[in-house]
Amino acid sequence: MSDDELHEPSSASNAQGTPGSDAPSTRQAHDAHIEPLTLTSAKGFTRTTLPWRRVLGLFAAALAIWLVLDATTLQHNAQVSPVGTRRTVALAILNPIAATSRFLQISRIESTANQLIGRNANGSSRSNLMVVGPKKQKHTTTTSSKGVTTTTLDPLTHPSSAVPLRVLILGDSLGLDLGGSLQNALANTGVVTATLDGKESTGLTRPDYFNWPAELASDLPKTNPQVVVAMMGANDPQDFPGPPDIPFGTAQWNQQYEATVVKFMQEATSTGATLIWVSIPPMQDPGLNARVATINSLQHQAATQVKNVIYISSASILGNAQGQYTAFLLVNGQNVNVRTPDGIHITPDGATLLSNAVIQTMRTQMGIILP
Amino acid sequence: MLFPTIDFAIFFLVAFALSWLLSPFPIYWKLAILGLSYFFYAWWDPKFVLLLIAETAIAQVGGHFIALAKTERGRKWWMIGSVASLLGILGYFKYVGFLAINIDNLARHFGMGNIVPLIQPTLPIAISFFTFMAISYVVDIYRRQLEPARVIDTAVYLAFFPHLIAGPIVRGGELLPQIRRRKDEDHIDYARAMQLIVMGLFKKVVISSYVASAIVDPVFASPKSHSAIDIIMGAWAYAVQIYCDFSGYTDIAIGLALLLGIKFPVNFEKPYSAVDLQDFWRRWHITLSRWLRDYLYIPLGGNRGSEASVARNIMITMILGGLWHGANWTFLAWGALHGAGQVVGHVRRERREKAGLPAIAQGTWRHWIQVFLTFQFVCLAWVFFRATSFTNAFQYLSRLVTGWGTATSLVTPLLVATIAAVLAVQLVPSNVVDRATSFFSRQRFAVQAVLLALVLLVITTLGPTGVAPFIYYRF
Repeated sequence: MSDDELHEPSSASNAQGTPGSDAPSTRQAHDAHIEPLTLTSAKGFTRTTLPWRRVLGLFAAALAIWLVLDATTLQHNAQVSPVGTRRTVALAILNPIAATSRFLQISRIESTANQLIGRNANGSSRSNLMVVGPKKQKHTTTTSSKGVTTTTLDPLTHPSSAVPLRVLILGDSLGLDLGGSLQNALANTGVVTATLDGKESTGLTRPDYFNWPAELASDLPKTNPQVVVAMMGANDPQDFPGPPDIPFGTAQWNQQYEATVVKFMQEATSTGATLIWVSIPPMQDPGLNARVATINSLQHQAATQVKNVIYISSASILGNAQGQYTAFLLVNGQNVNVRTPDGIHITPDGATLLSNAVIQTMRTQMGIILP
Repeated sequence: MLFPTIDFAIFFLVAFALSWLLSPFPIYWKLAILGLSYFFYAWWDPKFVLLLIAETAIAQVGGHFIALAKTERGRKWWMIGSVASLLGILGYFKYVGFLAINIDNLARHFGMGNIVPLIQPTLPIAISFFTFMAISYVVDIYRRQLEPARVIDTAVYLAFFPHLIAGPIVRGGELLPQIRRRKDEDHIDYARAMQLIVMGLFKKVVISSYVASAIVDPVFASPKSHSAIDIIMGAWAYAVQIYCDFSGYTDIAIGLALLLGIKFPVNFEKPYSAVDLQDFWRRWHITLSRWLRDYLYIPLGGNRGSEASVARNIMITMILGGLWHGANWTFLAWGALHGAGQVVGHVRRERREKAGLPAIAQGTWRHWIQVFLTFQFVCLAWVFFRATSFTNAFQYLSRLVTGWGTATSLVTPLLVATIAAVLAVQLVPSNVVDRATSFFSRQRFAVQAVLLALVLLVITTLGPTGVAPFIYYRF
């Protein structure tokens, strides 16, 4: 800006047109008679100024046009936002605009753009999967002379770099805190192919925002996991959208949530994999902590109903002696900061403790021999 | 309230209209801007508005009594008291947990047991930025470079929402006169403002988000699983990510302020075209660099004294500058690396000048070699800035040696093109932006509205569904 030179009113550069002729107000007439200034950049390019009312008009008009062009996405974003007044108001405004946009075929501009970049229903233009570790060994299929086909499965308990253990890690932002550390630790063994699929602000209450069951259905054939590790739920204390909405904290909500988790666990273990479900650690905020306790309790109940599910309570690893929230833990005689200052997420040191617990579970409860 | 959200667009529409409607009535304008700014800040956590008010009160009282003091000694004590109070607040929220755990662990090492309570206060957003602005206000009054302002002016100066969350760190002498002056409501430099906002959004929402998810996050999450090529590209990509993230925020902040009739100082000037680290810091986060220079480096002695004194001053300044970003040893290492690099550069300049040579080697090839080497050093330091711990940083760097047998999985033509394009814009002079702004300014109203809407559509289509907060929001 300091490189701009200001030129006094230039009649030659009145580029903003004239106001409408239909009974202009005093203010419009005033604006119309303002001579724009011409500003010149250091490189010699000129631009003009406008009165604030015209800038406001331009700003509002551009937003309005964008609202129509992008209406279907904005409508979707409003639909997937937390149930409440804000969502209701947003949908009341956006529903008719989106309907008009569709009717006038304007929404096709946006849908074509989304198709061009390959954006999928979960809002991602590419796979979320992050795979590390030794190259995955394909199943060995042999056919005998009698025509009997036998498939040799990779050994689960004695993985090697030639036949690595396949682990799929799923989660929200807390799951990603754990997942990054766990994936790195598993990859460092040299005998595990670890795949991480995580997305912040997701959970099982709002499949309209991010559909974890669909994501899992897509991940399973791609990764063929022997072990699935999942950690999610901190974003779940919210109403199930209806109609009718099912408010969080009601018996009906608890019933639906438990059923949803059971179904997800059944899906995760449907191909024979063992699911290690890591609970949400205690939260600093008492209100959030109480809500998270409800989620943990329902997830624990669900875990007892599905075969091949191992439940790990992270409160026993990241909590204090009473299993309550703490930012610091004494590990090997040294204090370690295990939680971030927001009182929610897990620090790298905290994630290391949690991933060590998961690996220990794989060793002790599943008998997997890891270097 | 993040800039690239509908919430903010609606907020700004209201703020813009209210600001200009009240522009003829200065006191109402100030009250409205203050109310809007506190509302903007309260969006994250209302209780910390009280902290912002407390820092404003300290700066105001300190500035007032510095000006009233009859002796130099009195002025000095009021200045020291105010700065110490402001630093005390910053220290409590930002560093107490870090200090406590390190002191406690040291005590345990010597068998002394638990000697300090371990606490971890919630970090109020933007505290580093508005505390530094409050300090500059007090010190400028002490230095007689600034007259004490009225309470409402000081409050607006510290809380003005376009700069509140992540700068630029504007000085009292730059902003207070603009707050007091009636703005020209008939001549808004809207084309430049729109260009800054749109470019800032594109850099943040499209480029920064893309490189973060495409390579930076995966390689830093699990460096041992990636090849040396991935590691090198990951570091370059992070240089692009943090530049697009932070300069994108700054562009938007400058553009928004311009729409409200306020001019902010420039904060970035093609930093990756720097020929050495001194040059880099004249181009990167310029308002922080000059703050550190004027309120820390020069009071420490600056360039005066022996080479050893200058080296000490540079190291202290850069290490504290590193810690300003966060209470973590990795930030300290980042600052120390930049400090050490600048000490070497300073000695080199001095010796060249003594030998009758230009401080910076001349010639096209030498210029490009210096730019290349400076960029590589900056990227090396960024590894510590981005890493979650020393272990993570050293794992990352060790792959530069051990990662040559691993297949490269994350480097795609699109990623290479994106990194190259961002760097090329800094390295190769171009008139494209000025030409586009001029073209936009010449269009009719309806065409301008449609163009803006289409650009917004492109940004929202190419960007991810949820935009991550700006990196500098954490500082």
